[in-house]
Order: sequence, then C-alpha cells, then structure tokens
Amino acid sequence: MEKQHVFDEIPDYLDGNLNDAAKTAFEKHVENCNDCQSELEEMKAFLNVLDEDVAPPSNRLKANFEAALEQEKQHQGKVVQLESKSSSNWTGNVLKIAASIALLVASFQMGSLFQQRKADADIAQLQDETNQMKQTAMLSLMENQSASKRIQGVNYIEEFEQPDEAIIQALANRLLKDENDNVRMTAFDALSKFTSSETVKNTFIDALGNEKNPSIQVALIQALVQIQEKKAAEPMKKLLEKEDTQPFIKEQIKAVLPTLT
Amino acid sequence: METLSDELIMQKVSEGNLDLLKVLFDRHHKHVYNFLYKMSGDHMLAEDLTQDVFYKLIKYRNSYNNGSFLSWMFTIARNSLNTHFTRNHKSHDDIEVLAYKVVEEENDVNENNDHLQYALSQLDPEDRELVILNRFKEIKYDELAEIFGSTPGAVKTRVCRILKKLKNIYLESI
Repeated sequence: MEKQHVFDEIPDYLDGNLNDAAKTAFEKHVENCNDCQSELEEMKAFLNVLDEDVAPPSNRLKANFEAALEQEKQHQGKVVQLESKSSSNWTGNVLKIAASIALLVASFQMGSLFQQRKADADIAQLQDETNQMKQTAMLSLMENQSASKRIQGVNYIEEFEQPDEAIIQALANRLLKDENDNVRMTAFDALSKFTSSETVKNTFIDALGNEKNPSIQVALIQALVQIQEKKAAEPMKKLLEKEDTQPFIKEQIKAVLPTLT
Repeated sequence: METLSDELIMQKVSEGNLDLLKVLFDRHHKHVYNFLYKMSGDHMLAEDLTQDVFYKLIKYRNSYNNGSFLSWMFTIARNSLNTHFTRNHKSHDDIEVLAYKVVEEENDVNENNDHLQYALSQLDPEDRELVILNRFKEIKYDELAEIFGSTPGAVKTRVCRILKKLKNIYLESI
C-alpha cells in the first residue's frame, strides 16, 4: 500500500511529539517506504548533532547577572525610600493645594470686584442719564400751555435730591412770571425746600414785590421770616405802603417786620 | 519553588520579588546562550548578549504581559541580537562569514559543530532563528508562532522544511 511520504512528521516523531495513533501510522509507513526510512535515519543523525550541547557559558555570566540583580534590588530599595519620602511630604502637598485654592479665591474676588466697579460705574451713568431725561421732561413740561401740565412739571422737583441751577432757575421763572396762581403756588412750595440757595432767596424777595395773590404773599412772608432774610424788609415796607394790599397782609407784615430789623 | 511555572514566577518578579529571577536565570540562561551562540557562532558575543537579555528581563519586568514567558524571553533575545547587528553596522552576512572563519579556525576542536555552524550560516537569519528555537524542547509550536507572529500550523510546516534543508546542507558539507 503506497501512501504519501511522511517527511513532515519525522522531526515530531523523533522528538516524541506524535500521539499513539499518529506514531503507529508513521512507523507502519516507514517500514514499507525506503525513502522515508533513509530520511528518518539522516534526520536522526543530524538532530543528534544539532541538539549537541555547545560549550556552556562561563561563570562570569551568572556572576554578572547576580551583580546586576543586586544593583537593581538596591535601586528598588531606593525607590521605596523615595516613595516614603514623598508621603512625608504630605503637609507640603496640602500647603500647595491650599495655596492654589487661595489663589483661585483671590483671583475670583478680584474679578468680581472689578466687575462690581464697572457695574457701579454703569449704574451711575444710567442714573445720570435718567436724571437728565427727567430734567428735560420737567423743563419742557413747565413751558407747556396747560396750567395743569406746568404744575405737573413743577412737581417733578421731588424726583431730584440735588436739583441743579437750571431747574432752580426754571422754578423761579414760574414763581415770578406764571400767570396761573396755582402754578406759582406750587413753584413756591417746590422752592421753599431749597431756601439755603441764594437764587431762591432773591427770587422770593423779587416775588414779594410783584405778587398780587394774597395767599402766596402770606406764604412768601412766612418763608422769608423763617430764614431771617434781612433784605426782605424793604419790599415788605413797600407792600405796607401800597393801597391794594389786603389788610390782613399788612397786619402780618407789621407783626413780623420787627423780627427782621 | 522548582515546580512553579515560568509565567507564575515572572509574574511574582514583576510584582517586585526580584530574587525569583535567579530561578528563571538558572532554568533558561543556557537556552538563551545556546540560541545566541548558534545564531552568532561567537562564544563571547553569545555570553554578552545573554547577559544583556537577562538585564532586560530585570529592567522591563513591569512590561511582562503574563503571556508565555519563553516567547517573551526569546523575543527579547532576538531583539538584542538584531540590535547588536544593527548597532555594529554589520549585516547578518558579515557575521556569518566571521562566524564561519572562527569556526574554521577551531576546526580541530569540534568538527561536527563546525559543519553545523556552516550549515546554519547558509540559512536565512529568520529560518535559522526558527530552527534553533524549535530544537529547545521547552518551546512548543504555539510559542514559536507567538514569537514569529504566525500560526502553529504554518510554523510546524516551515520548521520541517528548514530542518530538511539544513540537514541536507550539513550532510553535503561533511
């Protein structure tokens, strides 16, 4: 029975790597096949040579290896030391972390501070703009033809904590020149809060000379007496001399005049 | 300790038990040396490179990936050999000629070995590596496949082919 040659099995057979079935089949084939038999013999002889031990390495090899190993072990020891050293640095790490947190917080605060300042400036600017708008509205309302609009304009004074000269002047014009009694009365009320202003005092004195409405005259006299304005004495005397001045006005002037002079 | 597998021991080494490397050294340094000697035909070089291989085992113990230890070790050995040849700007051929010369000079000492070295030098470097590694009883086809990036079946066929070729070269040279 001619089978395929088993050359490829020879090394495994010689090394004992074949299982029993394969080994039996191999041996059976080799018995009947001269080619394979000679190949097997050759390979067996050759492998003996190939597997022959070469001269063993010198002892230097082992000695060097063990020296290197010792060195590595010492190095390993050093590494452990470094690790323990770093663990004793624990407080240092904590400090570092604390410092970085502090830095973070500080920069955050600085940022929000600058933000705040900018916001403040923005708000101030906005406030300023609003005031100017109010002022413009007030001044234009006071020029309105309708008396009630003019009163509304005068009443805007309450929106201003520190009215500027232009507003005071506008109010003074109302007090001196407006034809409507109610507008003049409201203007007087508004100005009476700012009697410390020189313009207001002068306006009151001028108004006292011109004013025909008795109730406004009374209010002016009372206001001027309250601030003890000496210059008011002159127009009061004139009022006394005028014929169309109401009698009760004259009485009032007579009552307060001595306190001024 | 003697019964533990190479893989288990190497695992312990990579975990820091360096002393166990001595066991691995005792078990395998002759194989590595034989491989390197048969590859280079130079006793001194084989010894230096064997030392180098075990230094690398120490150095790279943490990169051991729990695979076959023999595959790993011989991969390192092959790399060391290649690095040596590259670093010295000598191709394998030069070394072969040199090896053959050395062998020729030592003709009286061991004739069989000389012819074997000559036959080995006639092979491709990789074929030579494969066949030399194959002759170590401890290395199975699986591990050879792992080292050479091939399959066990392909390696087996190739080893048989190379062995036959090598045997014929050897027998002709006698």
